[in-house]
Amino acid sequence: MNTSLSRRRLLSTLGRAIAGVATFSAARVAKAAVQKGFVSSQAPKNYDPTKHRWQMVFDVDKCIGCGHCVDACKTENNVPRDQSHFRTWIERYIIKKPAPGSDSPRGEVLVDSPNGGMNGFPDNLVPREEILKSFFVPKLCNLCEHSPCVQACPVGATFDSPDGAVLVDPNYCIGCGFCVQACPYGCRFINPDTRTAEKCTLCYHRITRGLKPACVEVCPTEARIFGDLKNPVPDDPIQAFIQKNKVFTLKPHLGTEPRVLYANLDKEVR
Amino acid sequence: MPADITNALPAIVQAPMLLNHVDGYVYPNEQNLIWSTLIVVYPYITGLVAGAFIMASLVRVFNVRALAPAYRLALLTALAFLICAPLPLLFHLGHPERCYEVMMTPHVTSPMAMFGFVYAWYIMAVLLLELWLEYRRDFVVWSETTTGFRGILYRLLTVGVYDVSPPALRLDERLSHAITIIGIPSAFLLHGYVGFIFGSIKANPWWGNVLMPIIFIFSAIVSGIALCVFIYMALNWIRRRPSDDACLDAMGKFLFYALTVDATVETLDWIHRLYQAEESVQVLKQLASGKLFYTLLIMQGCLGTLLPFVLLGSTQLFRDRIAMWVRRRFYFCSALLIVGGVLAMRWNVVIGGQLFSKSLRGFNSFKLEFAGQEGTLVSLVLLALPFIILAVFIKLFLPGDGKSTPHGEAEAAKA
Amino acid sequence: MRRFKLPPQILRLVLLTIAIVASYSIARAWLTPASFHEYGWYRGDAIRELASRTPQYAGRKACAECHDDEVHKLAKGEHKTIGCESCHSAGQAHADNPDIKLPKPSDKDCMGCHQLLAGRPKFLKQITLKDHYTGHRCVECHVPHQPSEVP
Repeated sequence: MNTSLSRRRLLSTLGRAIAGVATFSAARVAKAAVQKGFVSSQAPKNYDPTKHRWQMVFDVDKCIGCGHCVDACKTENNVPRDQSHFRTWIERYIIKKPAPGSDSPRGEVLVDSPNGGMNGFPDNLVPREEILKSFFVPKLCNLCEHSPCVQACPVGATFDSPDGAVLVDPNYCIGCGFCVQACPYGCRFINPDTRTAEKCTLCYHRITRGLKPACVEVCPTEARIFGDLKNPVPDDPIQAFIQKNKVFTLKPHLGTEPRVLYANLDKEVR
Repeated sequence: MPADITNALPAIVQAPMLLNHVDGYVYPNEQNLIWSTLIVVYPYITGLVAGAFIMASLVRVFNVRALAPAYRLALLTALAFLICAPLPLLFHLGHPERCYEVMMTPHVTSPMAMFGFVYAWYIMAVLLLELWLEYRRDFVVWSETTTGFRGILYRLLTVGVYDVSPPALRLDERLSHAITIIGIPSAFLLHGYVGFIFGSIKANPWWGNVLMPIIFIFSAIVSGIALCVFIYMALNWIRRRPSDDACLDAMGKFLFYALTVDATVETLDWIHRLYQAEESVQVLKQLASGKLFYTLLIMQGCLGTLLPFVLLGSTQLFRDRIAMWVRRRFYFCSALLIVGGVLAMRWNVVIGGQLFSKSLRGFNSFKLEFAGQEGTLVSLVLLALPFIILAVFIKLFLPGDGKSTPHGEAEAAKA
Repeated sequence: MRRFKLPPQILRLVLLTIAIVASYSIARAWLTPASFHEYGWYRGDAIRELASRTPQYAGRKACAECHDDEVHKLAKGEHKTIGCESCHSAGQAHADNPDIKLPKPSDKDCMGCHQLLAGRPKFLKQITLKDHYTGHRCVECHVPHQPSEVP
């Protein structure tokens, strides 16, 4: 009778389908296990990203524009040493005195960052008598709470780590450059050697080992302050900074909620 | 020579004067443009696809009989360009071998992640399906009458369905109608998401605004219809057949309407920007009048929009007083101007958006190289490839002897 | 009762759709990395891989293990906020193998911070070299680790 034949056929097809799914799942688990065997990680063994919350703050009044941070970052992170790829850089703002006859209290603003500030700044850009005010601003990834770069990544290669860093997975990034376009602060670039997106990682390999980021390590004036919000040390400089200063963030109108805080920022800084 | 003039000159003239310098202040990482000519070509191609499809849908859904002679050509054009659409993206990626990740782990907050799905949906569920239903009867007929490789191809394309009885054909019509109705928003999505890729970037004031997807969609429609005009007239000229005048007049009419809407929306964008005068308006005004003077004001504005508007407008207003042979010239010239103007528009958006700094204090310069991963040569090849594919399609699917039965003629024969 | 017969076009299309969706699901299950979704929409392995890099800078604590006296002298003077490697460059290689010597800081390193520059805060002592003492190296009159002392 037709029905018994078709029922048998239906059951056998179903059985074959279930067997196929089971084999496939087993193969997937096996593949994952084999791949894990090939990956030997030198990551610090006991580091749990959910137990830390890294924080970076700047005191603009203390930055002297020496550029040691830029150099240290390039050394520490193997950043290409050309003039157009920086994970961190220094900007100098020179605000001139108002032109004679002008109504404004402040004059023209000039901004420069020769080679990211790595070798310092030339003295002769503007004659000293024309300068009303000048200062240096260190820049890097602003560790946005609502990172537009993470939002923009089509594959999940850049992400907010649980401990507050915004990282790029260089083995997954396809190099489309969308995140670079999406970052309002210009802190990302495409590494010409790896052809993937790259940015400040807070020296992730250092902070997971209890060290400070290289730029903080070499800053001579403590303009760069780094700490762990979940594990503050005694006399934590982050807490002192927060208590003492009124803080600013860059481009607050964009809604990115940067976690990097600046003290003593001028209105001209973008 | 001042840098802003240098940068607008064609690459071949520019090459000896190249100096990658910066005016004012740009963030150090912005100095090199990362989205170059390939990313100009990609929205251009998908725009042409969407526009050609919209023109075809005017026949199917809105029953514009006059456009029927160009219906099949429009669909084939859309397919030829759609096949080539992923190529500029693949060439541009730093790691094209990882491109499958976009479909395997798509990050749904990213408009770019939608590319794989929108593209797959559009090519499979809309375009190929529509073409198959349109051509199914011809495939059956041709598979029986042609031999050799082409015969095998037609047999494959029937997908094993040989039923061409009137009820089956009626079902084809109904399905096709339904698919075109779905296809119109799909075409909007195909190119709208590209506009959204730019429109979603709040970091860039030139890109990140609400009108960007709308502008992209309408300029896509304009460019697609213009391309169909150009190809239709070129094909008839090659085959030494007269173009259907009613078809050309209808195409010219819709081209004019689409151009009007597109020009209105783009002008609105500028009026709004200048009126609101946000912080970025200073640097953008300098961009438009400086580095983008030739590509924006001359190529996109005057040649790509104003002149075709006048030409097409006169054919609409003074149709009776302008002879057909003059109107044909007008349509052809307008089509070419528009096709060039829309390419200029993509250039102005993609390259222009990277020529100024996000610090709003300075400008980059763009070095267009000839050879290289994103050079002129690659772009020209990628722009020429769809035409080559289309030529193959025309050879296979658009016999010049009228043996096939395009949609409009079949409908007319029934009536 | 009329038997419902699926038109051949529809049948073909339904079968094609099922085949496409099935192959996509299989591909996706196979090609998604195993550690994906561990913490979020990214490979969990990425966090471990990024933490695997070898540090180049050792940090002041590492320097103090052998150079304790210098670190102590430094901590008492105006240069107490400066990390050792700020002037002496990346030291992890030296910390691992003391036979590897670090480059000696030169006058350029001193002037990198102490050059008079508009925008530098007043707490930093700045000079213009030609108005200072020329023809001598900085260390002939100054002790970098104890700036208030004389050699």
